[in-house]
Amino acid sequence: MMTKRSLVVVVDDDESVRESLPDLLGELGFAVHTFPSGEEFLASDFIAHASCLILDIAMPGMSGPDLQAEMTRRGHVVPIIFITAHEDGGIRRSVMERGAVDCLFKPFSESALLGALNTALRVA
Amino acid sequence: MENELSRVVDDLPGLVWTALPDGQMDFVNQRWCEYTGLSVEAARGSGWQTVIFHEDLPGLLDSWQAILASGHAGEMEARLRRFDGEHRWFLLRARPSRDASGELVGWCGINTEIQDRPRAYGEGSDRWWLSSRARENHFRFILDELPVLISLVRPTGEIECANSRYLDYFGLTLGEAKRRAGGHGAHPADRAGIQAAWRRSLATGEAYDLECRRRSADGVYRWFHSRGFPLRDARGDAIFWYFLQTDIDDLKRAGALLAGEKNLLEMVATGAPMKAVLNGLCEFIESTAGGCHCSIVLADRSGTHIEYGAAPSLPDSFINSILGLPVTIDAGPCAMAMCVNEQVASTDLTTEARWTASGWCSVALAHGLKACLSTPIPSTAGRVLGAFALYYDEPRVPAPLHQSLIGQLTNIASIAIERAQSDATLRRSEAFLAQGQQLSRTGTFAWRVAAAEIIWSDGVYHIFGFDTGVPVTLDLIASRVHPEDLPMFADMLQKAQSEATDFEYEHRLLMPDGSIRYLHMLGHATRDGSGRLEYIGAVQDVTDRRLSEDALSKARSELAHMARVTTLGALTASIAHEVNQPLSGIITNASTCLRMLAANPPNVDGARETARRTIRDGNRASEVITRLRALFSKKEPTAELVNLNEATREVIALSLHELRRSGVILRPEFDDGIPPVTGDRVQLQQVILNLLLNASDAMRIVNDRPRQLLIKTACDDDSVRLTVKDVGVGLRSQGVDRVFEAFYTTKSDGMGIGLSVSRSIIESHHGRLWAVPNDGPGATFSFSIPRDSKRTSRSSNPVSNSTDSVPSPQHVMRAS
Repeated sequence: MMTKRSLVVVVDDDESVRESLPDLLGELGFAVHTFPSGEEFLASDFIAHASCLILDIAMPGMSGPDLQAEMTRRGHVVPIIFITAHEDGGIRRSVMERGAVDCLFKPFSESALLGALNTALRVA
Repeated sequence: MENELSRVVDDLPGLVWTALPDGQMDFVNQRWCEYTGLSVEAARGSGWQTVIFHEDLPGLLDSWQAILASGHAGEMEARLRRFDGEHRWFLLRARPSRDASGELVGWCGINTEIQDRPRAYGEGSDRWWLSSRARENHFRFILDELPVLISLVRPTGEIECANSRYLDYFGLTLGEAKRRAGGHGAHPADRAGIQAAWRRSLATGEAYDLECRRRSADGVYRWFHSRGFPLRDARGDAIFWYFLQTDIDDLKRAGALLAGEKNLLEMVATGAPMKAVLNGLCEFIESTAGGCHCSIVLADRSGTHIEYGAAPSLPDSFINSILGLPVTIDAGPCAMAMCVNEQVASTDLTTEARWTASGWCSVALAHGLKACLSTPIPSTAGRVLGAFALYYDEPRVPAPLHQSLIGQLTNIASIAIERAQSDATLRRSEAFLAQGQQLSRTGTFAWRVAAAEIIWSDGVYHIFGFDTGVPVTLDLIASRVHPEDLPMFADMLQKAQSEATDFEYEHRLLMPDGSIRYLHMLGHATRDGSGRLEYIGAVQDVTDRRLSEDALSKARSELAHMARVTTLGALTASIAHEVNQPLSGIITNASTCLRMLAANPPNVDGARETARRTIRDGNRASEVITRLRALFSKKEPTAELVNLNEATREVIALSLHELRRSGVILRPEFDDGIPPVTGDRVQLQQVILNLLLNASDAMRIVNDRPRQLLIKTACDDDSVRLTVKDVGVGLRSQGVDRVFEAFYTTKSDGMGIGLSVSRSIIESHHGRLWAVPNDGPGATFSFSIPRDSKRTSRSSNPVSNSTDSVPSPQHVMRAS
């Protein structure tokens, strides 16, 4: 299906997500790198190579939507999938309007995640 | 000669006697002996004294001694006993007898009978009587001084004699009087009556008795009560009539005045219009005083101008010229009298100069009025209400009679005017009150309990929707009371009839159109003059307020519900967040694990690792729940001294409104002697409130009996007990034990946790909560908490947080 492994960057302050999600993404055939905060991601080289971002919405310091805004400001067009433990329709609508590919509520299923990734990479 | 003399002496018209110089009787004539029945011998010395009436003897002897001592002639009076035992009045006259040298040689005397004296003589004895100077002198003084007009009149009508009062009144000398007839000076209107009465008396010989007016010397007629009695001769013919005329003018006038005043006061008292009273007053004065016109003018409301009062006999053109005049000195006599608050008199308006500026005099003169007397009418507080005016057709000084009439009747005018003004004020204030009652939807009532008499104001009729004036009975009232409130109404009546205490109730009316009115009723108990119970009270239609309160209460409860939902929502979100994180890890790891196991070859190590992480995340979710529980069970109960009576009263105060709304009749019975218990006041109050509301709810569908709720405190041997007894639906047989289970409820809107929580609170206070069905309808819930002297004595200090002395928070939370 895909000749080159796409790089998916996961930014979440929750360690269990940073532990479990890369394994699953790896099993799904993606290259993965994780960051515990948006600030660390922005400071890294991965910003130019990521094919897709999976961002937690509520994080201490820079939130997921803040990072989305910063990326737009810097001119990086990367498809973004948000994940959140708060089942809040308002936030979802808000981030989707600003160009997010999807917003998944934790806990999400493997197929929901795969669906969102496929959409993101097709857009890209 | 001696015989001749002796015969003459014996024939003298009297009882003749002689006495020695020392007063000892030595002779009495034949007539003396014939009258007394005594012999000359028996009469001699002091023997004569035996015929003197015993009562008269001491006085007679005194007089006789005085005459003896004086040596001059004198007179005495005494009753002498006739031979047949009858006593008759005699005049005893004694003269001294002296010899040529003037030496006293003895006394001679004659006794003449005073009673029916004329009869003793024949025809012509009137002349004797009249010439009897002694008699005349004797009585002249008395007759002249008597306050009556006395005259002696011949049957022909000629005046023979009159006392000085008579002559003074008519201004006549006796000579002038003798040339007049008896009825002279009579009022023309009375003459015919006088003639008729006189003719009748002459014809029948019966006493003459008449009231008539006689003109006095100064030309004024006065009323007299005139009585005439005949003086008869031996044959029984009336030879004279003597007349007594008593002046009854003052009496008659006072009587007329009194009758007039009474009549006018009755008019005032029975609420006759002021104009009618004032008109009557003027007419009364005119008829009593005569020869004058009377009017009354009033001060207007501002007191600055003249208004019409009454003027029954004065032309409109004259009175109209006065109306509207300013109350000033120069506007006219009435205006002046009102202005200076003093009587103003003008004896001749043709020469009057005080009111020329206003031209009042010329108007009055044009109407033929020549003199006037204006008198201010003061109120009881001294304010000038108006003025009385008397007008005369001739220049004159007002008669004293007119002055006194005005003086007396000014009072009545004042009363009538003030009454009219206070009536008007009362009507205004009643109108205000009625309007106020209507605006505030309030009414007042009075209830005389024993007489079963109920009086409503218009406002109450309006509230109850009955026609004003319909006789009010308790049945009539009950017919409007909402059926569900009837038991409470009956209870209120029963209590009010037996206890004489103030009451305050709220109940509903079911109106004929099916609408419901809410009433707030206040009654105050009083006793009337004879000690009978009566209530006065107020009824207010609080429907609007109640409806808005209900709306408010509903809004508040909705708000509270929303707040709870919001809180729950927030709680749910936070719980969800805390739990979703590990759940997310679990699902992701499990997915990874499955994929690793499905790979070819299976990545067993990776799968093991992800499975391990799944377990770790599961534990993490569990910890979240534990943490949440800990968060919400942090509040610690307090331990303080609680007086159950006070705590219960506070709860009742908070819930009274709710209980009343539910039609509950609350009967508290507190034992004031209960000792305090140690515990959490608020928690105990939650239990009490819970029991009260449960009881109230249990009676919600009860309509066939009063919704009575008894709340009682009592002291048992080693505990304090609170009991709540209702007459509600009661406990189903299987429900007695189940009511305390969590989530057990018979109510559609209840969560069923109240009694469960209550029991755990009581148990945490080392007490017990139980329920028993009543013998009759309903159930009784009770709790008791031990009284512990050790605990009580320690209770002033914070109790240590040990499980045996403080309600356990964990226990409470788990039970709920």
